[in-house]
Order: sequence, then structure tokens, then C-alpha cells
Amino acid sequence: MAHTIDVSVVPPPLKVGWSSPQSTGQTVSPLVERKLIPAGPAYLAHVRRAVHKLTFEEHDK
Amino acid sequence: MAPKSQPNGSAEAPIEVTSTPTIVGINFGNSYASIAVLTKEGAADCIANEDGERQIACAISFHGEETYIGNQAKHQLVKNSQNTITGFRNLLGKKFSEIPPNEISVSAPVIQHPEIPDEPAYKVQVLQAAPIPLPTTASNTPAASHAATPRSEPTPSTRYLTPLEVTSIFLKSLVQSAEDFLGKKINGAVISVPNWFSDAQKAALEKAASDAGIVVLQLLEEAGAVAVTTTTEVWEAEGISQDRTQLIVDLGSSGLELSLLSIRQGLAYTIATLSDHTVGGDYIDNKLIKFFAKEFTKKTKMPLTVAPATEAQDKRAEAKLRLAVEHTKRTLSASPGAATCSVESLKDGLDYTGTINRLRFDMEVRSIYEQVNTKVKELVSSAGLDLHEVDEIVYVGGSASLPGLDETLLLGFSESVVTPFTVGTVVGGGVGDPTTIVARGCAIQALLLAALPESSEEEREVKSAFANGSTWNKAAVTSKTIGLLFPEDNAESELGGQWIPALLRETGVPARRTLRFDVDLGEGEGEKKVAFEVWEAKEGVKTENVKRAPLDDDDEEEEEETKEKIVEKEAFLTALSLVAKEGTKEKGRWRTKVEVQLLLGDNKSLSVTAWEIGKSGRGEAVTASISV
Ligand SMILES: Nc1ncnc2c1ncn2[C@@H]1O[C@H](COP(=O)(O)OP(=O)(O)OP(=O)(O)O)[C@@H](O)[C@H]1O
Ligand SMILES: [Mg+2]
Repeated sequence: MAHTIDVSVVPPPLKVGWSSPQSTGQTVSPLVERKLIPAGPAYLAHVRRAVHKLTFEEHDK
Repeated sequence: MAPKSQPNGSAEAPIEVTSTPTIVGINFGNSYASIAVLTKEGAADCIANEDGERQIACAISFHGEETYIGNQAKHQLVKNSQNTITGFRNLLGKKFSEIPPNEISVSAPVIQHPEIPDEPAYKVQVLQAAPIPLPTTASNTPAASHAATPRSEPTPSTRYLTPLEVTSIFLKSLVQSAEDFLGKKINGAVISVPNWFSDAQKAALEKAASDAGIVVLQLLEEAGAVAVTTTTEVWEAEGISQDRTQLIVDLGSSGLELSLLSIRQGLAYTIATLSDHTVGGDYIDNKLIKFFAKEFTKKTKMPLTVAPATEAQDKRAEAKLRLAVEHTKRTLSASPGAATCSVESLKDGLDYTGTINRLRFDMEVRSIYEQVNTKVKELVSSAGLDLHEVDEIVYVGGSASLPGLDETLLLGFSESVVTPFTVGTVVGGGVGDPTTIVARGCAIQALLLAALPESSEEEREVKSAFANGSTWNKAAVTSKTIGLLFPEDNAESELGGQWIPALLRETGVPARRTLRFDVDLGEGEGEKKVAFEVWEAKEGVKTENVKRAPLDDDDEEEEEETKEKIVEKEAFLTALSLVAKEGTKEKGRWRTKVEVQLLLGDNKSLSVTAWEIGKSGRGEAVTASISV
């Protein structure tokens, strides 16, 4: 089961008459390359998913 | 059995007494080392050696037929410095020609090895038990033997030991202490290395350890060991976010090492580092021994000049003071009251006992705190960040135990910054104790590695990802924060609603975040909707100079700097809306609980899914995706 983060803020009621903005076709900004510290269970999980080619959900099992 | 790891999990260390390999974590500093083992409860703890020391001086001393290791050896610096070896870790893997000749050494001289070209060696005088020739390799170095074996008179001889051999002897004694403590053989160790260690230095350390019969599971950077310790459940129980920017301030004996880490649900990487070897515990000692030498002269009218001392008598007094202030500093860290410094026969047969309290001490070493402060600012700005964007400060190293350092640094950070001092985990050897963090992280990491299966090709590949030079640690990370915006009538913020950051910038992909929160649905009856927009945002800190009214009439008007974290939405990505069916009414207002999951793939494809959590569990999921 995925680790769930409890958020304490409570969003207010939806703005009256809100409609979804037009999509601009924008995607996520370019990613940057970094070097992870090879330590800890999160790194292990990260590598396991990559080596065994698993999605998060498959890895959960 | 492999520890069950959660996808973005924290380091839990389930102890199964029967099948758990016996491992240790070793913090191998240049001046002090420490060893951590895992307790039955699965926590890592530093242990004391047979002399009761948790911080074990990296020193080896030869005195006649005896070999001293640790703090006992350090004490030999007063009368037997020529045969006492210190500072060997930093010489590991170095050629003789690479060692700066002017490096002042208080211990045995480092010379060119008589047989091996361009190899440094310590030259010491020992008494050799006749007639067996003394071995030159470390693996069968005789330890201090107390057995009274009948033999002929020992003969004085000269021994040459390379830094690698010295390291080997030292590490062997560390592991021996752990084995004595546990009553079991150690199967593996993770040993810390400074982040500036070269491949040659790592190779030398690895060889020294294996010569000592130690199975090295990993050489782990000190900052990595800190990341391990600070992403465990016990640490994060202090209420700190699992997505944070962490500043590590490591103040040891000979230097300051700063690292800025991005920690995202346990995944960590170094954003920037900085070293300064003109500040550290040795410099604190200089200030302190000068202070006490002055006091001594005041009291006794006997002149004493130290740090530096020129006369032989003063040199010896200085060596004694250096040993004595070790205790003074530790007392000062532990309590705000007065700490003593006592030296028998400091000079000319005169004993000395003096005291200093924390206030006075902080005054004496203020310039050192300020130098650290300056370097911290330099590091954070070199990373393009503001001090207010640092969420946590972690202290490492003996000298970082001094509360005055934390007090000085805190002035520049946001009020919400968390440090082990602010949460009170430093005192009494708590989880925030700067002197044990690295060793404990190494032990936790050792357990993780020792438990990895190796039966398939893939499993071996996973294990290889922890080795020096592996490319599995290359990861792509986001450059902007992705969050949820809940549009609101009459919103106070310029964003137009409530902002919930979900995937912070600097998050490695693929990434998954699942957030859970309550949503206010208002007072009205009828169909209720939960909807939000997903945006990429720019985060920063706005600095303003506010004029403050003078405190009294003759004061000048003062300017005060105020800082505020800001978020600006930059790119609209997608939006999601779902009908709330499970709302409940509380004090006249409707509320419901929702979960939102974001999945960001390697190829930048983003999918956002939301569902309501009702009495009967998860409601119907609604998904919006964008792909490249
Ligand atoms: N509780 C304490 N309070 C103040 N200073 C301390 C305390 N404990 C140890 N020290 C000092 O910290 C220094 C040792 O720190 P540490 O063990 O982190 O050094 P190291 O990692 O071996 O050396 P370096 O990183 O400089 O190569 C010494 O100067 C020692 O006197
Ligand atoms: Mg250190």
C-alpha cells in the first residue's frame, strides 16, 4: 500500500461558477539529472522498480 | 529475510534474532571513530569500547612492548608523541609526494617508506620481543599481550607502518570491541567516508578493512549516513516533512563539511557541498587553551605561552591542556553551568584547575561560530536558495554538539526551521546526538545491505546499485513544484485559492505521492463538488525591508528585514472534478475526505487521480492525465 501523506489544510468550498481552465498543452518542465545517494530503503525501492521494471503498484505487492 | 520496504518507505529495521546477520556501522573520522550496532528493538546505537569510550580517538601508540589504541594512545602524545600515530585516515591512499611537507604533525613523523617507492610511512620505535622477527604486515600485528611468556630480553627496533597498515590495526580493534560486546562474530560493516575521498582513498580504506578481516558492505559518504538516520521513523516522528531541504553542518576536529540535501520521501541527493579546513574543534581548542594558559599565568605568575608554544616546557604544557579541554568542552555542551579544566603539574610542577561557563566560552569562540555561519550562507546561496528555504539543520561531528553554534546559526533561518536542538533530541545521547548520527546511519544501512537477496541476476543487479561507481544512482528530478490549487471565492492569496504542494521541485522520477485531506463543502444543500487545478509553480522567498519605529527617542529609525515564502503559479497542467457523495455535516457545514494521487513517470507523463473516502472506503476514482 502506498504511503499516504496526511495534509492538515482544509481547502475551502469550490468557487462559484468555476470551470476548468483551457488546457494549454503545457507539460511538466524539463527534468534535471542528479545523483542519488545510494542509501536507505527508498533508494532500494527506487532501484528495484527500475531493475525489475515494475510500476509503483506492482512493486507494492 | 529482506526487510519489507515501502515504496517510499522509512528505514524500519526488523530484528529477527535468528536470521539477522551481525553487522556494524563504523564512523571513521580522522580524529575519532565510533561503532554502532543494532539493538533487539531494531534501533541503532553506538557502543563503548573496553575502555568505556563511545568516541574512540583514532590513535595508536607504541610504548615498549605495549600497543595502545584509542584515547589511551592519545594520552601518549604528552610523553611519547614520537611513537604515537594520529591523523592517519586522511593519509590513506595518498602517495608520499602528495602529502604537504609543511603539515604540522604532533605525532610520529611521516617519512618516505624505506622500501616502497613514493609511499608514506610512520616511523616508530618499539621493543621487539626476541628472537622472532617482527612482522611488517598489519594482518598479524601482535596486539598488546598481557600473557607472561618466558623469553629473552626484548630488543629496541624501528618499525615502519603505512597509513593503510595503521588503519587496518585500528579498524580491527574497533570490530573486536563490537564482537566482544555482542559476543558474536561480525559478518559485515558499512564504513563512512568523507565526501571528498578520492577513489584511491576509498580503495585504500577497503583494502585496510579487508586486511583486518572485515567484510565491507559499503563505503558510505558521511552525508549519506546522515540521510539514512534522518529518514527513519524515529527521526521523522518529530513532525518534520518527509519532503524537505536539509542542511548538514559537520564540525569535527580539523574541518567543517557542509552539505545541502534534497530529501524526498527518503530519496536523497546532494544539492551542494562546501569544505573549510580552517575551522573546527582544533581551533576551538586553541582558543580554550590560550584562555586557560592566561588564567594559569594570572593565578601563578608563571609565564606560559601556548598555541603556538616555542619552549619545550610550554609544548608539553600545551599537550596536557589539549587533552584536558576535551573534557571541558563536553561538559559545556551538556550543561550551561561552569565546566572545569584540570591539569596536574601543568608547568614547573604547578597544578592547575580553572573553570569557564558557557557564556564566557561562547564569547571566546564567537569568531568560530561566525565563520561557520558565513560558510553556511555561502553554501546555501551557491545553491540558488535562500536560508528560509532550508527546512531542517542536522548537526554532525563532536564540535557541532555545542549549543552556541546552533544559537548563532538559527538567527539567519526561518522560525520554522527544525534542528535537533529545537526539538530537544541532542541531550542525553538522544537521536539528534551529533556524535553518533553517522555510525548509526551506517549500521542501519549495513542491515539493509546484508539482507539483500542475491539469487537472481536482477537481485544481484539491485545489490550492485550500492557499489561505488554504479550508474543506477543517476536520476532525473523535477525542476518545478507541482501542486493542487482549489479555486475559491474572494481568495486572499494571489493564487486565487488554496494551494497544496504535492510534488516538490527536486523530486526524483518516477514519483508517486498520495495526499489525504478534508475538503470544506460549504453550508448549502444539493449536489456538492470537489474540484482543483494542477499547476506547476515557482517558489521563492520575498525579502522586504520594513521601517520600524525607533524604540526610544534618540534611536535612529531602524530597518528590519522580513522574509516571506511565495508561490507563483506558472503553468496550468490539468484539472479534476468529482461529485462528493460521502459528505457529512458538522456544525452546519459539509465536509468530506478525499485522496489525490499523483504519478509522474520517467517520460514526464503525469496522471492525477482523486477519490473520496467514505464510510465504505474508497469511492469512484477520477483521473486526468497529460503525456508528452
Ligand atoms: N560533546 C562535545 N562538545 C564539544 N566538542 C566535542 C564534543 N565531543 C567531541 N568534541 C570535539 O569534536 C572534535 C571531534 O569531532 P569528530 O569526531 O566529528 O571529528 P572527526 O570526524 O574525527 O574529524 P574531522 O571530521 O575533522 O576529520 C574534537 O575536537 C572533540 O574535542
Ligand atoms: Mg568528521
